[in-house]
Amino acid sequence: MTEGINGFSSPRPEIFPAGLRVLVVDDDPTWLKILEKMLKKCSYEVTTCGLAIEALDLLRERKDGFDIVISDVNMPDMDGFKLLEHVGLEMDLPVIMMSVDGETSRVMRGVQHGACDYLLKPIRMKELRNIWQHVYRKKIHEVRDPESHEGLEEILMMRNVSEQQSDDAYLFCGDDMTPGSRKRKDSEHKNEEKDFADHSSVKKARVVWTVDLHQKFVKAVNLIGFEKVGPKKILDLMNVPWLTRENVASHLQKYRLYLTRLQKDDLKTSSSGPKHPEFSPRDATENRTETIRVQQNEAVSSHRTPSNLIIQNLNSTIPKVDIKCNASLQTIKPKKIITGYAAKTGISNPFESTQYSPFNSVLPTQYSWGGGFKEIQFKQEHNPPQFQVQDGCFTGLGLPAQQKIIPSFQPPDPVISPTWSLKEQTSINNMELSPFLLQGQHCSSTNIDHQNKGLPNDQEFLYDALKFDFEYPADSSEYHVIDQGLFII
Amino acid sequence: MNRLLSLLFQQGVLDEQFLQLQQLQDQTSPNFVSEVVTIYFHESEKQLRNLRNILLDREMWDYVKLGIHLNQLMGSSSSIGAKRVRNICAAFRTAVEQNNRSACMRALEVLEHEYCYLKNKLHELFQIEQQRVLGDAVRYPGVVHQQ
Repeated sequence: MTEGINGFSSPRPEIFPAGLRVLVVDDDPTWLKILEKMLKKCSYEVTTCGLAIEALDLLRERKDGFDIVISDVNMPDMDGFKLLEHVGLEMDLPVIMMSVDGETSRVMRGVQHGACDYLLKPIRMKELRNIWQHVYRKKIHEVRDPESHEGLEEILMMRNVSEQQSDDAYLFCGDDMTPGSRKRKDSEHKNEEKDFADHSSVKKARVVWTVDLHQKFVKAVNLIGFEKVGPKKILDLMNVPWLTRENVASHLQKYRLYLTRLQKDDLKTSSSGPKHPEFSPRDATENRTETIRVQQNEAVSSHRTPSNLIIQNLNSTIPKVDIKCNASLQTIKPKKIITGYAAKTGISNPFESTQYSPFNSVLPTQYSWGGGFKEIQFKQEHNPPQFQVQDGCFTGLGLPAQQKIIPSFQPPDPVISPTWSLKEQTSINNMELSPFLLQGQHCSSTNIDHQNKGLPNDQEFLYDALKFDFEYPADSSEYHVIDQGLFII
Repeated sequence: MNRLLSLLFQQGVLDEQFLQLQQLQDQTSPNFVSEVVTIYFHESEKQLRNLRNILLDREMWDYVKLGIHLNQLMGSSSSIGAKRVRNICAAFRTAVEQNNRSACMRALEVLEHEYCYLKNKLHELFQIEQQRVLGDAVRYPGVVHQQ
């Protein structure tokens, strides 16, 4: 990759779409790893990030260092949509949203906030192969926009490469080109740059709206008064010599849209008030830094009456951001842990299995599971498991609620037999749910006793399997309830 | 595809996303699948703990947090193709939306159980794979083996 000024790579349009610089933001490390691998296979240049705030810092640090951002909607430190707004406003990069939730309203929100696409998890590689289209499309539109643009020859080079590569490129080449550039298509590639400079209108540098610039902009807007604002006035106030009226006009448009969306969001979320009044010191500092950043962006500065309205709205968003940060930070911290996982009763467990490691685990308990239990047949093959909630009784997988399964347990075979699993026993075909989970009846105490006698090892297995580096001692008062493996309220 | 894997497919424990993972594995990342699955185990167990902690409260449940953790678990499970786990999360989520406490509790039980089953089977799968690779190395010493 060619190195830019800061040591970061700059785009090489002649190999487009390879080398596309993608920033992936997701709090789920599994998806981060998978997406990274998938994007690398597409020959893209990938940077991953687990937090929205980190991502914003990265983007601000490396101005022009990325071509496209892919972000999950649900992030712990910042709403994915807010991130989307910031990126759109500050860096003007195409942003793709992802989520496991495909509900139409959410998708609509994404599009409203400016996402160029909304992918549903699980994401397939072929969907990622196409993301370069968004980068391309954005560049095309900027060409039309009188405000920008460098990179016209970039586009032409991209186009020429993509024409060679695939037929799909023709879809993009078709109508989007101005007559001037279409002529270019036919001429040789070598002289493009020179010719273009002669023929086209003055090539303008792309305006990157940095935080400072944006702040000046917002100050100017607030000084004038949001209602009376106009690009010319803003431009005069900003006193930035190289900025043109057109630059300001288009940015103003974006800013207006952004504010209206904020107001709409405020109205929607105004019912949920502040939740966590207590701030731990760590949370407070992180919230403050977030607040400061947000404030910088909104540039809540001195103001007159008409703009007060806006500032109030902006102000009201800031505490919400705090709350979100705070709430999520608090969720991450474990509270007092009382779990069944650490529950150890007097029953000696011959199947002490230690920490799981991918390859070395000896798993005595699991293999002995199938022996001797009376299994429940499930028709798994064609239907996804249906869970019905009938009269408060949770019956899994389409079982009639009345089915009572009486287990006939034999003490599990302690011999480790890895080959056991390879035999085509009927037990394997069954979802080996222990009966107590699928009682159609409500959980009465009699049931519990009955099961408790029969399933000491089973429970132990369940708890051992989930015993990770868990050192929280369980209260002895809680033991009794948890140990029975059932929740009784 | 070995028998265990096809069995898991048949049972609906895994879906084609798992195949996608296998296809991503290559020379540059020969242990890709197991690495991803290990991360998945770590993350889901965290989420399961979180869920259980919330449900342990005899008084008030934070349904919002329940929803958040469930979403995270669903997302992770979809990443490796853990279809059954994901479906149970969806059912759990419905119970949460309905504020149905007993259904939630049962859902958690089923969820934990499903998760254990999945984990066991994946461990088996990796062991089988490992044995196969070792076996190949023994049978054909000096030959570079493809994953």
